[in-house]
Amino acid sequence: MADLVTSSTEDSSVPSAGGPTAPAAWRSAARRRAGTPRASIGSGRAARLRWIVGAATLAALAVGAVLLPWLGGLDERVLDYAAVRRPPGPDHLFGTDETGRDLLLLAFAGLRVSLLVAVLCAVVSTMLGAVVGAVSGAVGGWTDRLLMRLVDTVNAVPHLLLGIVIVALYRGSLTAVVASIALTHWTTVARIVRSEVLSLRQRPYIDAAISGGASRWRVVRRHLLPAVVPQAAISAVLLLPHAVWHETALSFLGLGLPPHMASIGNILGDGRDAVLLGAWWIVVLPSVLLIVATLAVSGVAATWRDRLVPRRRSELAL
Amino acid sequence: MLTGAGLVAGYTRGHPVLSGVDVEVRPGEVLGMAGPSGCGKSTLARVLTLLLAPWAGEVRLDGAPVRRFRHAAPREQRTAVGVVFQQPRLSVDPRFTLREVVAEPMLASGRAGDVADRVDELADQVGLTAELLRRRPHEVSDGQLQRACLARALSLRPRYLVCDEMTAMLDASTTAALVRVVNAHVESTGAGVLAISHDDSLLGVWADRVMRLAP
Amino acid sequence: MTTTAREPRQAPLGAATPLLSVDRLSVRFLLGRGGRRGEVRAVTDASFDLRPGQLLTLVGESGCGKSVLASALLGLLPGNAQLRGTATLSTQDGGRVELLSAPESVLAGRVRGRLVGLVPQSSATHLTPVRTARSQLLEAVRALRPGLDDPAGLVDHLAERVGLEPAVLDRYPHELSGGTAQRVAVALALAGDPPVVLADEPTTGLDRPLVDRTVDLLAGLAEEGRAVLMITHDLAAARGVATDVAVMYASRLVEIGPAGRVFDDPWHPYTAGLLAALPEGGFTPIPGHPPELTALPDGCAFAPRCALLGARDERCTGRPELVRHDDRMVACRRPC
Repeated sequence: MADLVTSSTEDSSVPSAGGPTAPAAWRSAARRRAGTPRASIGSGRAARLRWIVGAATLAALAVGAVLLPWLGGLDERVLDYAAVRRPPGPDHLFGTDETGRDLLLLAFAGLRVSLLVAVLCAVVSTMLGAVVGAVSGAVGGWTDRLLMRLVDTVNAVPHLLLGIVIVALYRGSLTAVVASIALTHWTTVARIVRSEVLSLRQRPYIDAAISGGASRWRVVRRHLLPAVVPQAAISAVLLLPHAVWHETALSFLGLGLPPHMASIGNILGDGRDAVLLGAWWIVVLPSVLLIVATLAVSGVAATWRDRLVPRRRSELAL
Repeated sequence: MLTGAGLVAGYTRGHPVLSGVDVEVRPGEVLGMAGPSGCGKSTLARVLTLLLAPWAGEVRLDGAPVRRFRHAAPREQRTAVGVVFQQPRLSVDPRFTLREVVAEPMLASGRAGDVADRVDELADQVGLTAELLRRRPHEVSDGQLQRACLARALSLRPRYLVCDEMTAMLDASTTAALVRVVNAHVESTGAGVLAISHDDSLLGVWADRVMRLAP
Repeated sequence: MTTTAREPRQAPLGAATPLLSVDRLSVRFLLGRGGRRGEVRAVTDASFDLRPGQLLTLVGESGCGKSVLASALLGLLPGNAQLRGTATLSTQDGGRVELLSAPESVLAGRVRGRLVGLVPQSSATHLTPVRTARSQLLEAVRALRPGLDDPAGLVDHLAERVGLEPAVLDRYPHELSGGTAQRVAVALALAGDPPVVLADEPTTGLDRPLVDRTVDLLAGLAEEGRAVLMITHDLAAARGVATDVAVMYASRLVEIGPAGRVFDDPWHPYTAGLLAALPEGGFTPIPGHPPELTALPDGCAFAPRCALLGARDERCTGRPELVRHDDRMVACRRPC
């Protein structure tokens, strides 16, 4: 056998005796499978565009929200009764409101307040939901049943109504607004975390950890919590736009933040009568800013979620 | 001696998977356990590793009765019985590197002295290189992962080792290599092994005694 | 210079033309965007023929690329895979289908189920949990053979063929044992009467008697004149029933030949090592680990573990090609 002549088939650009038709070049194996969309969500050009546009918009808004009030000593609180309800123009890009405040500055300040409140709400409700979900899933039994019925109860009441009840009890403070949003939005996170913990609990590696002497707390800390953190973090970010709108709605109804905090909701609430006087910009322009901001957050969050969703590794398992 | 007497166990009330099984794993001996699918081999493994409380019957560990199971069992009893499962992919936390997988029981049970040295020693025993120890589960093959699982099971020098279909997913060469590691552990420490397998020819060369579980 | 991999080979039943002819099939996976983080060479230059009456067993350890080969043949590779080479399927009417470049419509409409039947790895998850075995079989028969007068009769016939009790057919998948579910899966694979049957690790998770029954069933399909490709890491399961065996190591076929001759007198040191690692063969493991498919060596991938020649041996510096010797092929440069 040692004297048998062999040839290399590696370089298949040279047609060999064996198969002159063998194509030389690598070609993609991708085929559209029946019933599946052409491009999967989270990959491809559309998702990339969504990510870039979302991130760029968010960055621009963040820079605006943070830097604008300090630029040239501009202050959104400056009242100018000589220039009330001015339409958008070179002096005031977004126009002015009832008391002559510059709406551009006011809207960005409002956005800053709204986003801060939203972040606070998202963090609080995610932590609350994660704790309830983890306890529910890890302990099980009656505790689980009780907590899940609580989740059902909270979900059964309209969120805004429940929020209104809470702020009505502790009117006009930041704490009340955060509490009213957080206490109505933790249920989704709780459900997600619970189901994740339930499925993880069945894994043999939890058995192996117990057999290796791990305490209950160590199993939760080393295996369960790290596994649910990505899910919980994504839920938190996806909650942001929701919380912004919730806060805006409460403030618009006059139940939200105290009037001296210029949240978008407060601006809209103050400006709704001005619309009847023809000052459309007081309502429209801050709203546009709010819509753009929430869309940007959702865009970034959605891309992030799609990236974190575990790839189908089994397809690569050789 | 690790014994089970009159063990009845299952997962759904009224449907026991095990009904009245007696088993005796002696130190220094490999007890083979064979039986068709669904006869309760894995359930027995979970009871003997204190991971599943039996409905009836008694588990004794070196003479001491085991009264509580899973987290409730005393750590000393839990860690006296090592376990290797059938599917290595499901038996390790996907976030851990192989080094963390092997070291975890030592850290979790408070025997943390010289963990790094002990991991290197175990890796050497089961045939894992330092390079492989740095990887995560999805970057290694089933066989390499199962080697890490065996190293983890041996890390606390258990007096008993339960191998539940340890080699069912592995090729012939890795099977032979892992069985040799287990046998070396038996020889050096006098541990007792329960080797569960559906492969009679494997148990023929591995086990000192073979017990058959009826369906 | 001559490449020997494509010469005709004597089939067990003397059938002339191969049903499936794979020629230098290679598959790679690009890691990262556009392969920036390297590539995985899952299959490299695999060539073999599959003839009616043959049960070709593809053996190799987990991660050697054998399941990717099966996925490539069925057009089920993920999007980051690239391939080259050909896999030509001959149809009964004398036509040919090139599996690797055929569009999805051809694979779905003509190939899967009709020309190539798949016996999957875990049959229990392969079946729809909400419908009985009978209704799934009936649906497959109706879809694959639309003009049939008596589909229900064919379902009974298929069940009988694979040794299923008629009563079992009215059960739901979760009520079936592992072995029975595997039989239902084989019956499903036969619904379209395919001349080629591809079984990907059909015995995983089954105990020995069920393994034996499953491989016997596959051997029976080969005896009927079908061509069967069985992919497995279980050498013992393959040993009893295979007419031919192909051994895969680190993405390449290293030895192909009639099962009896390969098992009795393995030529490649890896094949010999696998046989020597069996409980009945001496239970001696092959030292070392297989190479990573991301970093395959230029030379013989087995050289570092080879019992016959050291890695530094001059004759093992180049990569040995699969060369023919009588009815066998081996990729090793050791002197015979």
